[in-house]
Amino acid sequence: MTDRRRINGPPSGTRPAVFASSLKSASGAATERPRRHRQPNELRKIFLKTGLIPSASGSAYLEYEPSASLAAARSSPQSLIPPSSALKLACTVHGPKPLPRSATFSPNLVLTTHVKYAPFAARQRKGHIRDASERDLGVHLETALRGVIVAERWPKSGLDITITILEAEDDRWWGDAPDSHDAPWGMMNVLAGCITAASAAIADARIDCLDLVAGGVAAIVSDDAAAEEGNSSTPKLMLDTDPAEHKSILSACVVAYMPARDEITEIWLKGDHSKASLGVDDSSLGHEALIDGAVNAARGAHTVLVEAVRESAERYAGLSNSDS
Amino acid sequence: MASTLPTLAIPGQRLAPVSSYAAGPGTHVQNANIYASIAGPVLVNPASSKTAKSTLSVSRSPLRKAAPAASPSAPKSTAPGPSKPRYNTLPAVDSIVLARVTRVQKRQATVSILVVLDESASNNKSGPQPTTTTTTPTGGSSDNDNIEAILSSAANPENHSNSDELRFQALIRKEDVRAVEKDRVVMDEMFRVGDIVRGTVISLGDQSFYYLTTARNDLGVVMARSEAGNMMFPVSWKEMRDPVTGAAELRKVARPF
Repeated sequence: MTDRRRINGPPSGTRPAVFASSLKSASGAATERPRRHRQPNELRKIFLKTGLIPSASGSAYLEYEPSASLAAARSSPQSLIPPSSALKLACTVHGPKPLPRSATFSPNLVLTTHVKYAPFAARQRKGHIRDASERDLGVHLETALRGVIVAERWPKSGLDITITILEAEDDRWWGDAPDSHDAPWGMMNVLAGCITAASAAIADARIDCLDLVAGGVAAIVSDDAAAEEGNSSTPKLMLDTDPAEHKSILSACVVAYMPARDEITEIWLKGDHSKASLGVDDSSLGHEALIDGAVNAARGAHTVLVEAVRESAERYAGLSNSDS
Repeated sequence: MASTLPTLAIPGQRLAPVSSYAAGPGTHVQNANIYASIAGPVLVNPASSKTAKSTLSVSRSPLRKAAPAASPSAPKSTAPGPSKPRYNTLPAVDSIVLARVTRVQKRQATVSILVVLDESASNNKSGPQPTTTTTTPTGGSSDNDNIEAILSSAANPENHSNSDELRFQALIRKEDVRAVEKDRVVMDEMFRVGDIVRGTVISLGDQSFYYLTTARNDLGVVMARSEAGNMMFPVSWKEMRDPVTGAAELRKVARPF
C-alpha cells in the first residue's frame, strides 16, 4: 500500500554514493585496496562455538579473522568506510519436530534450510524478505547437508536450519567500479561458512551424521605484484580468498567435503579461467586443481570444526557431572 | 582392542572394526568399520551371550556419572539405575510414552506426546520406574528431574495451549483403549482433556498422528485432575477420586506400581 500523495523516501535505508577516485584519506593519500598478507595456501583463522542459543536444539556461531587491513583500520581508522569485511554468522537448528499438518507422510527427516542476511550485513542493505541470492544459498546448503545426515533414522520429523548472516563477505573491493567479470564471489565464502557452521550446529543438536562436513573455498586470481609490474599476470591458485583483496578473480570453487570418507556432497564452480594465459604449469590450474584447493581449505576448516564439536560433547557430558 | 576406543566420539570418527563389535545406536557402519554418527560418550554394552559381540554405541543423552566407557567392564558396574542412557527423542513402535490428552471425541482421543520413556526401563518392571502413580505430581519419585518438570508443567492448565505444535501428536482409538469389552467403551468415561496417559505406540500412523494403545493393565491415565481442579488418586482400574470433595470420576486408570 503505497502513499501516492506524498513523495516518500526509499523504503530501505540508503547510503550516499562515494567515488573512489575522489576519495582521500585524512593524510591525503588515496585509499588503497587491502592486500593479502597470507600465503596462498594459508587460511584465515576461524572462530567457531556451539550451543550459544539455548532455545534451539543445536546452534553454532562462526566468525572469520578480519584481514590485516581491516584490523589495522579498526584500530586507527583512515576512513569511515571499512576496507574489507569478515564473515560472521549464526546458525540454529530446530528439531527434530513433527511435520506440519499439511505435509505428507515422510519416512525420512525433512530438511529445511533458511539463509538470511541481516539488513546491515552487506554494504548494500538487504530487505526483510529473502531475495534470490539468499534462497540460492539455502538450496546450496540443503544439498550440502542432505548428503551428510542419516535421514532414515528420523521418520516423520522435520529439521529446520536457520542461518543469520551478521556480516557478509564483500563481492569485490568497495572502491572498484562494478565491471564485466563481476560475480558474487563473496557468496561463495558465505556458503563455505554456512556449511561449516551448520555442520557444527547439527552435531550440537545430535542428529545422526555420516561425518562432519566442512566448507572450503579456493579461487584462481590474476592480480599480483607481477601484474602491477606490467608483466602478463600469472593466474595463481589461492585458498580462502577474500574478494576485497583481489582485483580480479577468474574462477572460484566452493565444496562441502567429508574428510573421513573423502567425499564431496556439494560443489559450486564459478567463473572462467580459459582466457587466463596459462603457462607451462597449466595443468595445475585446471578445474581439478581448483577443486583440490577447495578440498584442502575444507580440511583446514574441518580441524576447527572437530575441536568445536568435541567441546560441545564435553560440555554436554560435563554438564551431567555438575547437576548429579 | 578396548583400549583403543575413545571416551568421547565425534561424527565421522572411526571407532572399531565390525569384526570385534556390533554397531549400536549412534553409530553407522561403512567399509566394515563402525563410525560414530553423533557426538557423545562411547558406550560398550557387554554381550548377553558368549557368542555374541558387544554392542558399541554413542550415547545421545548425558550420563549421570561420566563413566569411563573405555573398558567393557566399567559400564557393567554402572549400568542399572540412573546412569543408564535414557531416551531417544523419537517415538518408535513398542516404545512407552507419556502423553497429554488434548481432545476427546466419540471414536478417538487425541493426545500429544510429552516424553518417550526408555525402552529397557519399561521392559524390566523391577527397575525403578520413571513415574509412580501417586496422587500428587511432585510426589512421584521419578529417577529424572526432566520428566518431573515436563509432567508438572503439563498438568498445569496454563501450559496447555502453547507448545502442542512442537510435540508429536497421537491418537488413541476407541478399540485400543482396553483389552476387554471393547465395544462398550465410552471415550468420555476413559479420558478427559488434560489427563496424562501412559501408552505404548502400536504404529507410526499416517503423516500427522502416531497410534497409541492403553490396552494393558499398566497403561492408562496416570495423572488427572477432577472437575474441581484437584489432583485425583486412583481407586480402581476405572475410577479415580478427588481427595478434597470425595467425588469419583471414571477413567481408564493405569495400574500404580
